[in-house]
Amino acid sequence: MSAAAQTMAEKLLTRHNLTAKPVRAGDFLEARIDGAMCHYHASDPLHEMAVQSGFKEGLPRVWDPDRIFVLVDHHQPALSQKLADENALIRREVGRLGIRCFHDAEPGISHQMMADYGLMRPGELVVGNDSHTISYGALNAGGTGISRADMFYVLLYGELWFQVPPSIKVVLDGRQPKYPIAKDIILYLAGQYGDDFAGSMSIEYSGSLVPKLSIDSRMCLSAHGVEVGAKFAMFPEDEKTRAFLRGRTDKSYEPLAPDPGAEYEKEIRLNVDEMPFVVAKPHQFGNVAPVDEVAGTKIHQAQIGSCANGRYEDIEIAARVLAGRKVAKGVRFIISPASQQVYLRCVKAGLVETLLEAGAQVVTPGCGVCQPRVGFMSDGEVCITATTRNFKGRKGSLNAEIYLGGPLTVAAAALAGEIVNPRKVIHGL
Amino acid sequence: MGFDLNRVIRGRVWKFGDSIETDAINPYYRYPTMEELKQHTMEAYRPEFPLQVKSGDIMVAGRNFGCGSSRPGLVLREVGVAAIVAESVSRLFLRNSISRAIPIFVAPGVTGIVEDGETLEVDYPQGVVHNPASGKSVTVRKFPPMIEQIFECGGLPEFARERYLREAALGKRPKA
Ligand code: SF4
Repeated sequence: MSAAAQTMAEKLLTRHNLTAKPVRAGDFLEARIDGAMCHYHASDPLHEMAVQSGFKEGLPRVWDPDRIFVLVDHHQPALSQKLADENALIRREVGRLGIRCFHDAEPGISHQMMADYGLMRPGELVVGNDSHTISYGALNAGGTGISRADMFYVLLYGELWFQVPPSIKVVLDGRQPKYPIAKDIILYLAGQYGDDFAGSMSIEYSGSLVPKLSIDSRMCLSAHGVEVGAKFAMFPEDEKTRAFLRGRTDKSYEPLAPDPGAEYEKEIRLNVDEMPFVVAKPHQFGNVAPVDEVAGTKIHQAQIGSCANGRYEDIEIAARVLAGRKVAKGVRFIISPASQQVYLRCVKAGLVETLLEAGAQVVTPGCGVCQPRVGFMSDGEVCITATTRNFKGRKGSLNAEIYLGGPLTVAAAALAGEIVNPRKVIHGL
Repeated sequence: MGFDLNRVIRGRVWKFGDSIETDAINPYYRYPTMEELKQHTMEAYRPEFPLQVKSGDIMVAGRNFGCGSSRPGLVLREVGVAAIVAESVSRLFLRNSISRAIPIFVAPGVTGIVEDGETLEVDYPQGVVHNPASGKSVTVRKFPPMIEQIFECGGLPEFARERYLREAALGKRPKA
C-alpha cells in the first residue's frame, strides 16, 4: 500500500507524531517538539501556573535544556522597574532549570535571533509562546505560536497536542522589483480574501517568484501568516535557505516538500506584477486599500521595524529613498532593526549614517516600536508603519490612526509628510 | 479550577463584531496588571463594557474572535464572562482558552440568532446554542475527547500535573 500524498503540514506532523502513524488534515495527535522558543513570559506566569497546578516549588524540571531557547526580547533593556525585576527572575529560573541557550543582554526580537543564531532548521517542529513564531516557516521549519499554558506542558514533556491543519496553496508569480514587496503581497491578499483567509490552515508558498524572494522577504510573509489566521506558513527549502543557514548551524536536517497530488483546501494565485502599492487602514489588517486611495493623509510618525519588517532589506530601502534628502519637517521617522546582527550589518553598510543624516531616528533593536513602548502616539495623530499590527491603541492612544504599509511606502511617506504613492517621490522604480 | 462542560450556561449577551483582537481583549501593553486590565478590557470597542459587564454574562462575537497575539483572555473570566460563543475563533485564542479552561464555543450562525442584551443558553451536552426568547438555535461544535479532558482537569498545567503524578507513581520520569 502506498502512503497517501501529503502536504507539508501533514508530512511535518506525521514525522513528529508520537505514535508514528501517518496523519491527515483534521486529525488530532500528540507531537514531539524539536525546539521551544520562550520569551519574556518565562518567569512569572509560568511559575504561577506551576504553583496553581500543584507544583509548589515551581516547574520541577525541563524536558531538554538544550532544546529550550529563552530570549528576553520584549522587555530589554528594561523599560521599568517592574520589567527589570521580572528579568532578574527569568535569569534565576533559567539558572535553576539548567537552560543553556539564554539571551537577556542582547536587544533584539526573539524570532530574528532564533534565525540569526540558527536555532531552528528545515523540517523541525518549533513552538513559541508568541504568535509570530510562525515566521520560522521562511526557513522551511514548522514554526507555530502556542499559549503560555501550552508552553508549560512543552517545557515538562517536549510534547504537545495538535490538530493537523488543512493546507492552502499560495502561488506567487511575477518579477521581483528592486525593492521589497513582501508586505504589499500579504496586505493585498488580506484585502482580497479577508484577514482570516488562512484561518487555522497551513500556508504553502510556491510559484515562480518564490526562488527570487530573499530570506528577509520570506520571513515577512511567514510572520504575517498569523495576521491571516494561519497555523504554519512555509516556504520550500532551496539554495537561499541553505546559504542562510551555512555557518549558523551545523546540525543536519531533513527539509519538507509536499508530495505531488497532495490535497489542498484551496489555492490562491497572485501575479505580483499586477499588484498596486497597498496599505491597511486603521484598525485592522484586512482593511486594505490601494495607496492612491489614502494619498494626501498627513502623518506625524513613520516607522520601520518589528518581526515583520525590521530586516536588512527593509532598512536598506529606507536608506536608498532618503539618501541625500530629508525627512519631512515635524515627522518622527523611527527605525528599529530587528536584532543586533541586523543592526551591525546596517551600520557596516553605511545605512545608519545615511538615515541619520536624513533626519531619521535609529533606535535599539527590539519590539518597542511595534508596541506602545517606543514612540507613543497622541490623540488624533497619524502613523504609517511597516510593523505587524494596526489595532486600536497599538501605539498608545485609542484615538490615534495607524496605517500599515511596506517599507518603501513608509519611507516615501516620511519624505513627503503624507501618505503618497512611492512612484510619485522616487523615480525609476 | 475545573470547568464542567456538562453544565448549561445561561446569560445576558454582549455582542461584538468580526476580528476582535487580543489587543482589545487584553491591552496589557498599556495596562500591565490584572486590576487595570479589568477596567479596560474591550473598551476599544465598547467603552461601557468594563463598567457594566456582570458575572454570568455571555460574549457573542463574529468570525475570527481573538485574532492577533498569543495573549490569553483570562481577564474576561476575571470580569465574570461565563462563556464566549463565536462564529469562529482564531486558533491561538482557542488554544489559549482550552489550555486555561476558559469556556469558549464555536457556533457558526450564532450572531444571527441573538441580539445584544438578550439571553442566550449554551447547552454543550446537547450540542446547541439557544435563544429562549425567539426559540432559535444553532449547533455548537464538539471538542474531541482529549480536549474535553483538558477542560475537565481545569487546564493544561493541571493536566500536566496529573500526568506527572501518574508517571511518578509508576516510577517513570528519570530526569530530575
Ligand atoms: S515585533 Fe511586535 S509582533 Fe513581533 S514579536 Fe515583537 S511585539 Fe510581537
